[in-house]
Amino acid sequence: MSTQAALLVSVLAFPGGLFALALGLALKGADRRFAARLQGRVGPPLLQPIYDLVKLGFKRTMVPLTATSQLVFLVTPLVALVSMLYAAALIPVPGLPAPSPQLGNVLVLVYLLAIPGVALMVAGSVSGSTYGAIGFSREMALMLAYEGPIVLVVAAVALRTGAAEGQFAVLSLTEIVRHQQVHGANLFDPVLWPALIAFVFFYPANLGIVPFDIPEAETEVLEGPLVEYSGPALGLFKLMSAVKSVVVLGLGLTLFFPLVPEGPLGLVVWLLEDFVLMLIGVTAVRVGIGRMRIDQAVAFFLKWPLVAAIASLAVVVVV
Amino acid sequence: MTSPDVPVSAHGVSAHDVAVPETYTIPVGPLHVALEEPMYFKIDVRGETVTSVDINAGHVHRGIEYLATHRSMIQTVVLTERICSLCSASHPEAFAMAAEAIAELEVPSRAKYLRVIAGEVKRLASNLFNVAILAHLTGFETLFMHVMQVREIAQDIKEAVFGNRMDLGAICIGGVRYDLDAEIMMELTKRLDEIAPLVDEIIETYRTNGTILRRTRGVGVLTRDQAIACGVVGPVARASGVVYDVRHAAPYAAYPDLEVAARGLSDGDVWSRAMIRLYEARDAIDIVRQALAKLPAGEIHGDERPDVPPGETIAKVEAPRGELIYYLKTNDGPNPERVKWRVPTFMNWDALRFMLAEAKVADIAIVVNSIDPCISCTER
Repeated sequence: MSTQAALLVSVLAFPGGLFALALGLALKGADRRFAARLQGRVGPPLLQPIYDLVKLGFKRTMVPLTATSQLVFLVTPLVALVSMLYAAALIPVPGLPAPSPQLGNVLVLVYLLAIPGVALMVAGSVSGSTYGAIGFSREMALMLAYEGPIVLVVAAVALRTGAAEGQFAVLSLTEIVRHQQVHGANLFDPVLWPALIAFVFFYPANLGIVPFDIPEAETEVLEGPLVEYSGPALGLFKLMSAVKSVVVLGLGLTLFFPLVPEGPLGLVVWLLEDFVLMLIGVTAVRVGIGRMRIDQAVAFFLKWPLVAAIASLAVVVVV
Repeated sequence: MTSPDVPVSAHGVSAHDVAVPETYTIPVGPLHVALEEPMYFKIDVRGETVTSVDINAGHVHRGIEYLATHRSMIQTVVLTERICSLCSASHPEAFAMAAEAIAELEVPSRAKYLRVIAGEVKRLASNLFNVAILAHLTGFETLFMHVMQVREIAQDIKEAVFGNRMDLGAICIGGVRYDLDAEIMMELTKRLDEIAPLVDEIIETYRTNGTILRRTRGVGVLTRDQAIACGVVGPVARASGVVYDVRHAAPYAAYPDLEVAARGLSDGDVWSRAMIRLYEARDAIDIVRQALAKLPAGEIHGDERPDVPPGETIAKVEAPRGELIYYLKTNDGPNPERVKWRVPTFMNWDALRFMLAEAKVADIAIVVNSIDPCISCTER
């Protein structure tokens, strides 16, 4: 298989592409079902996210008259989804071929992770809806708050790994995994614990989950940037969100706990870890609290995760 | 700014105007996920801060006052029950009280107690409904589900005792249309014992939960002076330190014989209003228990079709949302000549101007919900 074909497979089939889509939708289905059970409801079938997408696929996408540009309005969800499929291809998944170094390293991944947020901002802005505009400003405020900590978290892990490997910084995700397989997981490295805390808060903010679902708050701004989207275009945003949950979970596992058995068993364990983290770390938390206000969320991020991330980086540099 | 080739939407916004200006208007309603009923708030916003509020009503006007003049007195009791489903015990009660005052009818004392029971069970369900919606609006879906589940016990009580989950059909002129036998009183007592600790638990949750406090303390404040100036009533007034309750000020039905706690808080924010509603939901359980314990034997109504002579009067009751006043004028005919009622929401929604001043966009829905608006009552 030529290199180009291998790259294409990794973006379109696995670990990006179909694999990430299926896993993301399964995570969403499990999340909805588990949340329902915690709230005393029966909840939807596990395949509900897929049914929703099929239904959206048969609908029309309406472009509002107020939209500044039809093209931008329709292309934005596609850009968001493609960026996430690409990002999923960068995640080392045990039992699958390691991501090609030609695709990029962790810095590329951090950039790619910002694209869906920017896409939502563009989508809210281009729709011409005031609710979209409020969603835009909220998404921007939230991104400014959480992007800083995630860059610092990644930098802390890269520098820490680099120091141990006798380099300045290790940016290859595969290298970071290999280092932990030899020297033990970063999860057990006290120097990186502040970084882990910062990452734990980054996760719901990046995915727009309660308490940080502020830009898309249904009862406040009617889903904000998504208010004017319908049909397949809305479906693309939903797909993007599903893949994003895989990417961010995968990034977390890669940075802090990539230790799984060799071979296909490793893949099974890795998938199980995804589900357990999703249900305990996200679902159980989100049903237990309500939404923050945007000013509260920004203040919160500037207070705790940013400080934790800076502390982590400082400790890594000093130690 | 608009050029001919640019499509213009129905709102007159051209595609070139989309760079959102500093100040813009967001429509909350007539249909909005945060509103249970159609109501249009035109809200001017700068950034995330509200600068002015305009209320536009009239979406559920059904002409009920006009209809009332085309129905007999007895049919009008049924009609007033259908003004709004959440206060559907208070409307017919106030109307019947007005008719009884004109006809100088004495309501049997058993019926007075049964009226209190009907009204307080409705208050319990109505107040729990409103605080549940508050949790929903803050994105705290689990609490919403839980409170609605507890409220379901109140719905079960209504279904078991009155045969209906919303419109009780309990009131008639000169008495009530339902009676409690030993079996149904046992069931009622059992369900009240079941719901009381759950309501206590909900009160504790709203009093201490970080999410609720973060989103409701100091939000939508209405000071005591503003409350008096607007003439607000019900839990909205009591949360701002104006302890006015028709059940104390002008006791009706069996309230003179029952102990009703006077609830009042002084902060006047969304949280205080929610807490007043929760305390009063808890009090409602105690009042029903007292009424059951003291329930006298005897008739439940007098003449089934009492004659109402010409006359005019007003009557008022404490609905779940506050003071509800009925004006009734009768003539020689079988129909009322004029029926008019002033509902609590009419007094309370004007105060939204003060509550929403300088509010954040995120708080609009929470503040609007905090007056427990009943649009059907107000626009009838």
